[in-house]
Amino acid sequence: MNEEILFYLFSTLMLFGGSAVVLSRNPVNAALYMILALVSLAVLFLTLDAFFLAALQVLVYAGAVMVLFLFVIMMLDVDLRERSRPNIMAAALGLVTTGAVVAILLTWVGEGSTIRPSVGSVPTPGNPLAFVTGSKAFGYALLTKYMLPIQVAGFLLLVAMVGAILLGRRTKLKSSEGKDGS
Amino acid sequence: MDGVLGIEEYLVVASILFCIGLLGVILRRNVLLILMCLELMLNAVNLALVAFARYSGNMDGVILTFFAITVAAAEVAIGLAILVALYRRRKSIFLQDLNLLGR
Amino acid sequence: MSDLIAAILLVPLCSAALILFFFRRDADTAAKLSVGASAVAMVLALFALFQNIEIDAARISWLKLGDFELSFGFLLNGDARLLLFVVTFVGFWIHVFSLGYMRDDPGKARFFGGLSVFMFSMLGIVVADNLAMLFVFWELVGFSSYLLIAHYFHTDEARAASKKALVINRLGDIGFLLGIVLTQVRFNTLEFAELEQAALAQPELLTAGLGFLLICGFVAKSAQFPLHVWLPDAMAGPTPVSALIHAATMVAAGIYLLVRIDFLLVQEVFSLIALLGGAMALYAGFCALVQRDVKKVLAYSTLSQLGYMSATVAIGMSGLAMFHLATHAFFKALLFLGAGSVILGCHHEQDVFRMGGLRKRMPWTSWTFLLGVLAISGVTFTSGFFSKDAMLLAAYEENLPVFVMFLVGALLTALYMGRLHWLIFHGESRSKAARQASESGLTIIAPLVALALLAVLGGFVSLWPESLSSVFVQELEHVHESTGNRLVMTFGALAWILGLWGSWNLYARTRDEDPLMKKAPVFFRLCESKLFFDEVYDFCIRRPLRHVAKVFEALELLFISGLMVRGTAGIVALLGLATSAVHRGGLRVYALWFVVGLVVLLGYALAWWEF
Repeated sequence: MNEEILFYLFSTLMLFGGSAVVLSRNPVNAALYMILALVSLAVLFLTLDAFFLAALQVLVYAGAVMVLFLFVIMMLDVDLRERSRPNIMAAALGLVTTGAVVAILLTWVGEGSTIRPSVGSVPTPGNPLAFVTGSKAFGYALLTKYMLPIQVAGFLLLVAMVGAILLGRRTKLKSSEGKDGS
Repeated sequence: MDGVLGIEEYLVVASILFCIGLLGVILRRNVLLILMCLELMLNAVNLALVAFARYSGNMDGVILTFFAITVAAAEVAIGLAILVALYRRRKSIFLQDLNLLGR
Repeated sequence: MSDLIAAILLVPLCSAALILFFFRRDADTAAKLSVGASAVAMVLALFALFQNIEIDAARISWLKLGDFELSFGFLLNGDARLLLFVVTFVGFWIHVFSLGYMRDDPGKARFFGGLSVFMFSMLGIVVADNLAMLFVFWELVGFSSYLLIAHYFHTDEARAASKKALVINRLGDIGFLLGIVLTQVRFNTLEFAELEQAALAQPELLTAGLGFLLICGFVAKSAQFPLHVWLPDAMAGPTPVSALIHAATMVAAGIYLLVRIDFLLVQEVFSLIALLGGAMALYAGFCALVQRDVKKVLAYSTLSQLGYMSATVAIGMSGLAMFHLATHAFFKALLFLGAGSVILGCHHEQDVFRMGGLRKRMPWTSWTFLLGVLAISGVTFTSGFFSKDAMLLAAYEENLPVFVMFLVGALLTALYMGRLHWLIFHGESRSKAARQASESGLTIIAPLVALALLAVLGGFVSLWPESLSSVFVQELEHVHESTGNRLVMTFGALAWILGLWGSWNLYARTRDEDPLMKKAPVFFRLCESKLFFDEVYDFCIRRPLRHVAKVFEALELLFISGLMVRGTAGIVALLGLATSAVHRGGLRVYALWFVVGLVVLLGYALAWWEF
């Protein structure tokens, strides 16, 4: 019962936040609405018994990513509001096509399962891995079955960091650009 | 815990959120906002993925979402860095000013 | 042995290729290369002649389609040996002459490249052992003739002449090609040796139609009725070219073709050729009588002599025709080169009425030219006497109308050749160019002397090596044993005596204009108009064809050029415009199209799922 209330409440909030991101003219507002949508999504994760993921969602998205966005907005420090009105034609077309996508997706909905398998909290080996609520399960999965992917992901983050530093460096002379890029 | 809440509700919400993000990508001209909308779409997919994982009792979907979040974080970092570099070069982050083809 | 013949063929080809690729700017090297190649070809050819080889079995397969096979091979029988000698020998001296004649020409390298191409293709005709290979080289000589006639391509005359030569030759070659195809269909082979056996075994397969088709090539290449109109115009080319191609060798290739395939031709065809040849001997003589251009006189004379040869082949004496072909090649090349020397001496003055009195200023040219004139007129004991007398005898025995035409032709020949000589070398100089004329260098004189020697002595059969004379010596003895020998010889002698004496009377003291114009104006006009051949062709063929061409041009503009070429381009351009309108870098438009694509895919998946 509680879950249902949580679900409807926060999915409404999330959709509202998402729409507000699309519609707001000021990017700062948009970023704040985005945080709302992401936090609501974290709550939806909770209703799906993915507690660790919910925590990650708040930490990584609402915390790190959105702060990064806000930071960039502050750093650019210009009027980022869109000056021209959105193109009516493009808007109509976009609405029609995305509406079509939603409509088509909704026609598929009909006979999905409503039964949630019962879950434990202690990870057990198996393939596929059984759904477990405890965060210990993540550690288990990442260090056994996903040993290689987690290392690749770590390397990816390193590359991203180096890349971001390189791209973000302020270049003065045109001749030094080639060197910076390499 | 057999609730009335089925997988369908989650999927409906996820697809609506995806389309909202898509609409944002189509309509907005600010690259920053387009990046945000892309994140929205990614999150919609994450939600669907977790819902599927939960309703099939499979841990792998959740792990996959974990990786998706990781990659998304890296992507945002790089994307914003490119944005900043672009802004320095062109003094604008509006799409119509960045377009070198046509017009 | 086939290696030797292949080498004879390939040396000029290599020279042409080298000139084309490396020496187009280096004219002197190109000239040396070309002359060297012709010298090597001559030496190799002489070597091959004294080996006395007949048929070679070695063949290279060239094209194979199912059962049908075309091959390249060499057939070196007596006729081929004789022509091989003539082509390489005369060709070499003309190459040497060109060194002097073309010394200051801006297109020298191109000229010598063309000469080498011509030598290659002409030798190919000589040694070809089947009709297909012969046809290939046949077209190649046509092509090189076109190239060389158009040497002075900046003049309208040369351009028009080269085009005319090419088009008229194509006309004949279409018939020739059809004839070759028909031969292949009937006999299932194109090899001369096999064809001869097949023709003997199944004489019913030979028809007049096949013969007429096959001689189309001869008629065009040897410039006989009714396709003779290109040869006088072809004199627009450089004089050595006229000497080599349009007098000594290429036009004689038509005669050679007749000799090679005479077993394929039936009596009707031969009758026609005999008539055409005799008529040509006569008609060209009349035309030559009134020409003012020294080269045109010689061109018509060539036509006339070709008429003699073809008629002789037609009355069954192909050996005598080959004999006359050889002697004619010597004295006609000599005459052309002499004319070239005169033209060079007079700074490219070609009008004989603006020459005169050159005897003292150009003694070498004058004497050698005189020997050429005597030879072609058939003065007793020159080479022309032996060959022409034999032909007259043969005609007297076989075909009396042809004999009469030959005799009158011989008279005319002496008349116009005498006229040419008196006008150029005797009397007073009638222009400034003629007064300042001077003899040219050794490269001009040496070929004249060499060819003059042959023109005088070439008639003595005993001087010919046995491998060459075997072609004609039997027929020569045969006709000399006939009853009319003395009679015909008297007639022949009378012809040249009358001709030369008449021309001396008429032309030796000419001032500026043709005395015939006053004495026989109607005759003069008739001869000058060349019986209106060009005009008749213009009216009957060129003008109607022009209308047809206009219709085709309109169709071409509308359908091929308009609809197909430009239409296709237009459609592609429209598509390009449409797609480039999409690809304008609008990121959001891309996203929109992406979604549209998604809708379509999903819709398709949905429909597939539901039904």
